[in-house]
Amino acid sequence: MPGRYGVPTDPDYQERLAEFEARIRRGEKIEPGDWMPEEYRRQLIRMISQHAHSEVVGMLPEGAWITRAPTLKRKMILVAKVQDEAGHGQYLYHAAETLGISREAMLEALLSGKAKYSSIFNYPTLTWADIGTIGWLVDGAAIKNQTMLAQCSYGPYSRAMVRICAEETFHHKQGKEMVLLYAQGTPKQRAMAQDAINRWWWPALMMLGPHDKDSPNTEVLVRWGIKTKTNDQVRQEFINEHAPEILAAGLSIPDPELRYDEKSGNWLHGPINWDEFWQVVSGNGPMNKERLEARRRAHAEGAWVREALEAYAAKQKKAAVAV
Amino acid sequence: MDTQWPRWEVFKQDAPGKPHQAVGSVHAADPEHALLTARNVFARRPQAVSMWVVRAEEVFSWTKEEIAQDPALRGESRPALGSRPTTYLVFRKTSHKRSMTFVDHVGEVEAYSPQGALREALARFSDAEGLVWWVVPAEKVYKSDPSQETVESWFDPAKEKTYKQQQYYATVSASRPKRRKEDEAFGEGCAHC
Repeated sequence: MPGRYGVPTDPDYQERLAEFEARIRRGEKIEPGDWMPEEYRRQLIRMISQHAHSEVVGMLPEGAWITRAPTLKRKMILVAKVQDEAGHGQYLYHAAETLGISREAMLEALLSGKAKYSSIFNYPTLTWADIGTIGWLVDGAAIKNQTMLAQCSYGPYSRAMVRICAEETFHHKQGKEMVLLYAQGTPKQRAMAQDAINRWWWPALMMLGPHDKDSPNTEVLVRWGIKTKTNDQVRQEFINEHAPEILAAGLSIPDPELRYDEKSGNWLHGPINWDEFWQVVSGNGPMNKERLEARRRAHAEGAWVREALEAYAAKQKKAAVAV
Repeated sequence: MDTQWPRWEVFKQDAPGKPHQAVGSVHAADPEHALLTARNVFARRPQAVSMWVVRAEEVFSWTKEEIAQDPALRGESRPALGSRPTTYLVFRKTSHKRSMTFVDHVGEVEAYSPQGALREALARFSDAEGLVWWVVPAEKVYKSDPSQETVESWFDPAKEKTYKQQQYYATVSASRPKRRKEDEAFGEGCAHC
C-alpha cells in the first residue's frame, strides 16, 4: 500500500501528512495501525524507550536505601515506590513495542550502553534525606513532564502516562512529607535535608532538558502533539511550584540569583551549568558506570530464573501435547 | 540464550459488572506466568477483581482508519463446507478522551474468520462509533481464577496498602506537615535523634 511507511518520497505523503496533522489538531489519538510519518514513529520510539530505561535505572539509586530505611513505614513506602518504577518501565516498553521495536532490542540497547536514560539517575544518593528529596524534586519535575505527556497524540504513550501520573503523585507526596518533617526536626535532620536540596536542585532543573533554543526536536514534537509544552515551559512550572514551598519550609535554594518576578508571576532562576548536564548525558556523570554495571549484573544474575521459567513452559507444552 | 518471551495482551476488570479493559502487555513464558506478571504489573493499586491474558499474535485489530481503507474486509469469504463458527470476544474503543485503558470488552460474536467476526461486531455493536476494534478467539483467552479465595489473595492486598494512595498525604503543607497516629506507631523521626 503506497504511503504506508510515511516517508516523504511516497507519492501521497503530503496528502496523508495533511490528514494526519488535521487529526492531531482535532484532538484525536493516533493508534497502532493508523498511518503516521516515519519521523513521528522514530521520535516516539526514541522518547518512549529512553523514558522506559529511566524508570528501570531509576530503581537503582533508591533501591540501595531499602535496607537502610529508618522506620518500617518508610521502608514499606520505599519498596512500593521502587516496585512502581519497575511497573512504569513495563508500561513504557509496552507503548514503545506498539511502534514496532522489540523489547529485546530495547534491553540490548540499555545493557550495551548505547541507549540514553535520564541524566538525573547518574547522581549518587549519599544520605537518607536524598530519598525524600528525590521524591519531592526529581519526581516533582518528572510529574510536570508526565502530566504534559499524558496529553500526547499517540494513544499508547498517553495511556501509559495517565497511569504513571496517578501512581507517581504518591512518590512526590511521600518525598515532600519526609523533607518537610526533617526541615522541622533536629538540627542534624535539618542539615541533612538542606544538604540534599543543595545537591539535587540543579540536577532536577537540568533533567527537564536543554533550553528551547538548544532543543532541535521541540518544534516537530509540539507540531505533532507528542509534546504540548516546551522544556522551558515545563521547567518554569516546576520552579513556580517548588521554590516557594522549599523556602516556606525554612530551607534555602542553592541559586543566589533566584527571585520572584512580579510582572510575569514567575520565579526566575540563574544560569544552569549545561556543561555538567552534557558531561552526564555523554556518560561522564558521577554514577554512569556504576548504574550500567548494576543493570548488567542484575540481568546476568537473573539468567537462571529466565531459563527455569522457559524450561517449565516447555515442559507444560510437552505435557499438553502428550494428553 | 536470551530470546524474548511471547507478548501477552492484558485485560483488567475493576469491579464485577464492569467490562474487562485492555491495559497493556507483558512478556511471559506461559499463560500462568503471564497472569502472575500481569497481576504484579497492573494491579499494584485497587481496583481489580479479574484479569485476562491472550497472546498478542491472537489479537486481530483494526482502527477506524484501517477499516475505511481496507475493502477486503467487506468481501465475504465463504466458510468451508461442514466447518463450525468460532466464538470471538469483541473489544472496542469509542473515545479520544484521556484514559489509562484502551479497548473495552463489549461482547461475543460467532464467526468463521476474524474478518467475519469484525463484520458481525460492526453490525451488532453499533450503539457507538468504534475508533479501534479488537477481536480475539475466545478459546485463546486465559482468565484468572474467579474463586473468592484467589480474588482476595491476588487483589485485596493493594487495598490495604493505603500509603500508596496520594490521599494518604493529603495533609502535607509546607508550613506544618500533620503527624498521624501511624507516625507515632512507626516511630517516625526517632531513628535519627
